[in-house]
Amino acid sequence: MLLFAFVLCAVTQVMFAQGNRLRGTVKDQASGEALQGATLRVDGVSGDHQGDENGAFSIPVSGSGTFTLVVSSVGYETQRMTVRPGTSITVLLVQENVMDEVVVIGYGTTRRRDLTASVSSVGAKDLKDIPINSAEQALAGRLAGVQVTTAEGSPDANVKIRVRGGISITGDNSPLYVVDGVIVANALSMLSPQDIESIDVLKDASSTAIYGARGANGVVIITTKSGKPGVTAINYNGFLSMQRIQKKLDVMDPYEFVTYQYERSRNSTTNEQTFYDRFGAFEDLAQYQGAPFVDWQDHVFGDDGLTQTHNASVVGGSEKTQYNLSLTSNASDAIMVGSAYDRKLMNFRLSQKVSDRFKLSFDARYNSTTLTGRGTSTSGTSGHNFLRQAIRYTPFLSSATEFYEVNDELIEETNANQLYLVNPLKMIESQYRKNYGRRFNIGGFAEFAFTKYLNIRSTFGYNYNSSLSNQYDDYLTTNSRQNGGGLPIAIVGTGSNYTWNNSNVLNFSNASFDGDFHEKNRIDFLVGQEIFESRGKSMSVTQRYFPAGTAPEKAFANLGLASPPTGLTQPAPSSSEGLENISSFFSRLNWNHRDRYLLTLSVRADGSSVFAPGKQWGYFPSGALAWNLSEEAFMKNLSPVLSNFKVRVSYGAAGNNRIGAFQYLTQFVAIGDGYALLEQLNSIYVPSGLANANLRWEANLSKNAGVDIAFLNNRFRLTADYYENDSHDLLMVMRIPSTSGYSAQVQNVGATSNKGWELQLGADIVRNKNFSWTADFNISANRNTIKSMGGQERFLQNSGYLSNTPDDFLVEVGRPVGVMYGYVNDGFYTVSDFDYDAVNNVYTLKDGVVNNAGVLGYDPQPGVAKFKDLNSDGLVDLDNDRTVIGVAQPKFFGGLNQQFSYRNFDLSIFLNFQYGNDILNYNKLEFTNGYTPYANLLATVNDRWRTINDAGEVVTDPAELTALNANAKFWRPITSGAAFMSQSWAVEDGSFVRINNVTLGYTLPQNTSRKIGMKTLRLYVTGNNLGTITRYSGFDPEADNRRNTTLTPGVDFSGYPRASMYVFGINVTF
Amino acid sequence: MKKIKFNSGVGGVVALAVSLMLSCSEYLELTPKSSFGPETIFGTTENARKAVLAAYQMLGGDQTYGSRINLYYPYDEDNMMGNKGTGDNGRKDINRYNVTAANTQLNAPFERLYGGVERANICIKYIPEMSVYTSGSELEKKKLRRLHGEALTLRAQFVFDLIKLWGDLPIQWLPSAELTDLFLPKMDRDSIYDKLLEDLAVAKDLVPWRSEVTALGEAMDERITKGAVKALRARIALFRGGYSLRRGSNQMERGSNHLHYYQIAADECREVIASNEHALAPTFLALFKDHLNAHLLDPWGEVIFDVAQGGGGPGTDSKIGYFSGLRDQIRALPTFFYDFHPADTRRDVTIAPYTMDADGVLTATEITKLNHGKWRLDWFVNPSFPYTANIQYMGINWPLIRYSDVLLMFAEAENEVNNGPTAAAISAFEQVRKRGFAGNEHLIGTTPTTKEAFFEAIVDERALELAGEAIRKYDLIRWNLLAAKLAEAKAEMAKMAAQEAPYDVLPTNMYYYPSAAGGNGINWATSFYEPRPSSAPEGTSSVRWVSERILTHHDWPNYAEGFKENHSELLPIPQNALNANPKLTQDYGY
Repeated sequence: MLLFAFVLCAVTQVMFAQGNRLRGTVKDQASGEALQGATLRVDGVSGDHQGDENGAFSIPVSGSGTFTLVVSSVGYETQRMTVRPGTSITVLLVQENVMDEVVVIGYGTTRRRDLTASVSSVGAKDLKDIPINSAEQALAGRLAGVQVTTAEGSPDANVKIRVRGGISITGDNSPLYVVDGVIVANALSMLSPQDIESIDVLKDASSTAIYGARGANGVVIITTKSGKPGVTAINYNGFLSMQRIQKKLDVMDPYEFVTYQYERSRNSTTNEQTFYDRFGAFEDLAQYQGAPFVDWQDHVFGDDGLTQTHNASVVGGSEKTQYNLSLTSNASDAIMVGSAYDRKLMNFRLSQKVSDRFKLSFDARYNSTTLTGRGTSTSGTSGHNFLRQAIRYTPFLSSATEFYEVNDELIEETNANQLYLVNPLKMIESQYRKNYGRRFNIGGFAEFAFTKYLNIRSTFGYNYNSSLSNQYDDYLTTNSRQNGGGLPIAIVGTGSNYTWNNSNVLNFSNASFDGDFHEKNRIDFLVGQEIFESRGKSMSVTQRYFPAGTAPEKAFANLGLASPPTGLTQPAPSSSEGLENISSFFSRLNWNHRDRYLLTLSVRADGSSVFAPGKQWGYFPSGALAWNLSEEAFMKNLSPVLSNFKVRVSYGAAGNNRIGAFQYLTQFVAIGDGYALLEQLNSIYVPSGLANANLRWEANLSKNAGVDIAFLNNRFRLTADYYENDSHDLLMVMRIPSTSGYSAQVQNVGATSNKGWELQLGADIVRNKNFSWTADFNISANRNTIKSMGGQERFLQNSGYLSNTPDDFLVEVGRPVGVMYGYVNDGFYTVSDFDYDAVNNVYTLKDGVVNNAGVLGYDPQPGVAKFKDLNSDGLVDLDNDRTVIGVAQPKFFGGLNQQFSYRNFDLSIFLNFQYGNDILNYNKLEFTNGYTPYANLLATVNDRWRTINDAGEVVTDPAELTALNANAKFWRPITSGAAFMSQSWAVEDGSFVRINNVTLGYTLPQNTSRKIGMKTLRLYVTGNNLGTITRYSGFDPEADNRRNTTLTPGVDFSGYPRASMYVFGINVTF
Repeated sequence: MKKIKFNSGVGGVVALAVSLMLSCSEYLELTPKSSFGPETIFGTTENARKAVLAAYQMLGGDQTYGSRINLYYPYDEDNMMGNKGTGDNGRKDINRYNVTAANTQLNAPFERLYGGVERANICIKYIPEMSVYTSGSELEKKKLRRLHGEALTLRAQFVFDLIKLWGDLPIQWLPSAELTDLFLPKMDRDSIYDKLLEDLAVAKDLVPWRSEVTALGEAMDERITKGAVKALRARIALFRGGYSLRRGSNQMERGSNHLHYYQIAADECREVIASNEHALAPTFLALFKDHLNAHLLDPWGEVIFDVAQGGGGPGTDSKIGYFSGLRDQIRALPTFFYDFHPADTRRDVTIAPYTMDADGVLTATEITKLNHGKWRLDWFVNPSFPYTANIQYMGINWPLIRYSDVLLMFAEAENEVNNGPTAAAISAFEQVRKRGFAGNEHLIGTTPTTKEAFFEAIVDERALELAGEAIRKYDLIRWNLLAAKLAEAKAEMAKMAAQEAPYDVLPTNMYYYPSAAGGNGINWATSFYEPRPSSAPEGTSSVRWVSERILTHHDWPNYAEGFKENHSELLPIPQNALNANPKLTQDYGY
């Protein structure tokens, strides 16, 4: 292909070697300065030409007469002009007006100046600076009103995207994704950032209502790069990167560790003996001073994370046929040992003009992903969480070979509640994970123009996903130990689903009509119909009791190898199929009166199969008005300074049907693992839930007011929006009295409100021939409030971070979702809180001092952690002494992107930030407690209250104890189950400013790159996630890794640490 | 404005849109693939059986008789102490009577029992409506009647567990889908009990005796038979006629008209005994070691009603033998060890004074850590796992009602109704006792003949026979003896610690010979009933035995520490349930 293109280039050069030439210079109209590197093309003749450094060009043409010269340059409007050979031509290019940018809206496009809606956009220019493989992560901080939260640092980390907060309380709040006109679930995860042309996010109901119900949480419209007429370009983008853990947690060194373990064991003779057997007498501990310190984080998260990404594309076509084929390969190691990510992507777009009336377009995408490794966390029980091992495992080696060995004794001693400690490197080996995903996606449209004013476009999309997950738990895992008799367990999960989407839209436009009315009133009207269907299948098979030592690959290739011991049976396989259809009708009218008054009206009717007949249809109207003040006569004299001034208001309704199918029907599901008569499990039929025949569409009303202002020929731009989104009849998983046999039922109850504002500022601060500096800044704030939950005022919700800990989130009317709930930390007891009985060495709490034995499970002593007694009854207890301790929602968030170019250098610096959110740092809570013996602790605990003096004696004397702890800052680590209960100390401010991306690029001068056969060549270096300014003490303040429910955001527990990434990359066009 | 002409293409589009609109109502009506409607479930006998098994399922698994209801909730009582320690807002605080509404171990069992009620309610509604129920073949009708009776019995069991644990509660007798209001207030437990007794009176005529099961073409398995219905009816009648903690007065009070209910209990038990469908296993050891621990149904039908468990998971299997067993989780009181007569074989089944290591070697424990021994790892065969402390699910069934319980209920009810023990009552009582003393039946002593003395003998005998079977605490409550017996146990422990009579001649250390793997219990070198020898017998190891440590060590100071009379006899309503239903009240001082 490459060779072919090269030959083609050479041939065109030869063809035009004789004859006349078109000569001239390309200049910037405003400054009059020469523009280098413009692209010139002669209409009707294939082949591109480039202007030189002084803007001069010379194009050979055959024959004489007139030619149409097409001149384009990045950032300028393309100019067509009729020229003759011989004379010197001056081409004046006008800088592109951002107001003329095309913005994609539902079932159509519009110019930014004609927008009546609130839309945030990001283009390829911004995306090019982000050499990362996740398009989702690339969006963080770039779009006003769009909050992007990555759960953790793993290569497959779940990314949560929220447009203007979340409407639903218990439901899915993710936006709708539309790729090249077709609805595709989770589209961003299947696209390479290099293939994306633009992303437009529709935020207010006036723009989303055309998508009806499914647009209620915002619509993310993605346009991928398409072919371009006349130009055949071969692009190659590639980068290599290395990663390093961004931050480690400080843990105790060997001596600090043994000293603490000594202190911890002084509570019983048994523990003292065990300690002695393991580490010796107090005098022997000195040998651990300066002992080689093994910080397991270095080994577990010490991989270099070498990543290679290659993206090659061929773009080209003629006036009639245009195509783009892009292939991408990502091969990435992660910082965690044994984890890797491999992805292959294909993106193909083809469009064909069959005739002047008939146009066809076809897209195909393929995505294959393989993910290896178990990461650090699952939402399973505590025993499955892994970060613990890297932090808490003994920080030194007791034998030369221990690095690769399992200490069975330690497992037994630390086993309480499956929090056992095991060599982290062996544990990684013991947990084999491989997930394969394949996605295939075809789409396209046929457009037929009946007349100049009327056309029909029929769009279709078929999206097929399949997944296979292989999970293998060997003998060290909780799963194997609890459920497999210590023998390996293999779990195979498969899933497949497809969606089919077809829309037919009839468009009317009066643009081609003559007459005064049509000059002054531009009317676009569309009416359409759409269907969407989805089908899904899933299956899971668990095979227990593989022979010890079976290699995972062998196990998955030979599932029959597993055989249960006598009297036991394998769990039954399970499978399910889901199905859902939506049928819709919609219409929209755009009315533009003299570019001053813009009106958009739309209505959509959606019918959904998830509701009972009679309740299937929802109707969603919307309207928007905009007034372009800058077009008014009275503003014209301001126009040199004030180049654009538009105010917009909109109001609209949207809906939501995101609940499981068939919840309106009383249904039973078959379960294979039912009831074990004579040790044999029988299959059973269980009710699938309490049906609710009255389910209907959730209703959301959105109000938006915005203003777009631009100064100095649009060099300085400001967009501000204020919105209020109210929803009622919320589809909510409601707590119902469990005396009914069910604890929850989906009901249309409740109401929420989201209010917020967004501000986007853009400036071309410097715009010179050699130097330019642009900056884009956005900031958004959203306030979410639960207005009603039916008859219920409040309930508590468990984040599920550890089993059997008290509920740690509060859901209450009048508050936002994501309110953290727990005890209020009050430091620790001091000697003065007690009466001391010198005869028996016993401390007894003084009267009037709060007693929290009920929480801790042991009597308070000096140095023991203390909680506030909120109801002042002298006791701290679960029922009365917990309160709100944090809020997960940020007060505001945003980003600042600055791009500089100096001659051939370009530099971009991108920061994103978040302010005012709290994080429930359960890592900190677990890693500073003394629940598990022989577990290492965070170094903060070195400042603890001590009970041992330098001679290793337990200190009881009040004076001596007080003196010993004069500088104590931390309580004695909690050793009971209370160590895991949520409390205010674990709540931390999650505000941050992140240096998200810095890229420095150099583009070779074109005459140089030409010499080596390339049109353009750019080399760059990038640092991603270079640093984070935050007070948060955990790995990273962007943490949200317990996502069992939407009700418990902002929990940091056992998350995968984030890495900094250093990239070297290259962009080539042939 | 120019007139717009519509060409045929436009017309086609309009026609297409209209036809789509007409077909779309069909397009939106889908039929589920992975679920079934009631017409399918209650369309055949086999499917209906699976719906009834779904109700059975709620008896087992972690949240009910896999661990919470049988291993967490029934302690501390005067025979055994539950999971040691305190302050976990979980099982330990339940055991220590420090339980509050937010305790993390309350809600899931509460919900699961109600889940069982709902599943049973669905079967009770739909099965009699099946056409085969009235017009099928005789065999089919019998099978469906059995299923109907089982559903009624299961509902009675779930509801009984609920009100035994929580007192007055809202109870639905219809599936939730049939109700317009799910927000129900508490109902009086006496009326609930009466309804259960009525239901069981119906059920007992629907369900076959144990010996009649195979004639239905059905296997002899753990499913409910007539004996179970009647025995459960007797048990519920005794609770109805017994004491419980009442709302309003906040006092322990006996249910009204108690003799009527004792009569029901006596009659039901008499009929079970007379049926000869059930008998005692020849030895106590054989029942537990060779059958219950060996995953085998006992051939005598001593276990009348049990919860089938297996499959190795938290939803269907039990932690019996892992949580109870040899892991120092549930302990016998040191004094309870000595409540057994030396010749009573039940002591060494009920109490396992040893632990087992990974190689199967047994080590004696000191008297402060006597393990609950009716289910123990070293007795497990089939499945034969290598012993590690981590296997939690071992497929052990839980016996809800044993024949010896029926004999003792009969004796107790007869004694109450007739104002003294009848000959039949004495015979039933002695039958249990003699089996306990198998081989030494002459040592059972003289059975009392006055009402009070006989009742006291029953109180003691039920402890010896049924200890550790999740019965004792609730017996004590229905007799209104829990407070007294806990106090008595503490006093006895103090006496033993001080080595006062009758504990004054007991050894302070016990000596035993090391045993090889697979040994049958501990080979003791010295007597439990004589002071320790002046020097250790050769080749023995020793463990501490009777000393003051039983009051100070191993969490014994916390034993039943939070118990408050007229409060602790019931559990608080779980916080989640209170939150979800404002009509539900929290009572009894919680």
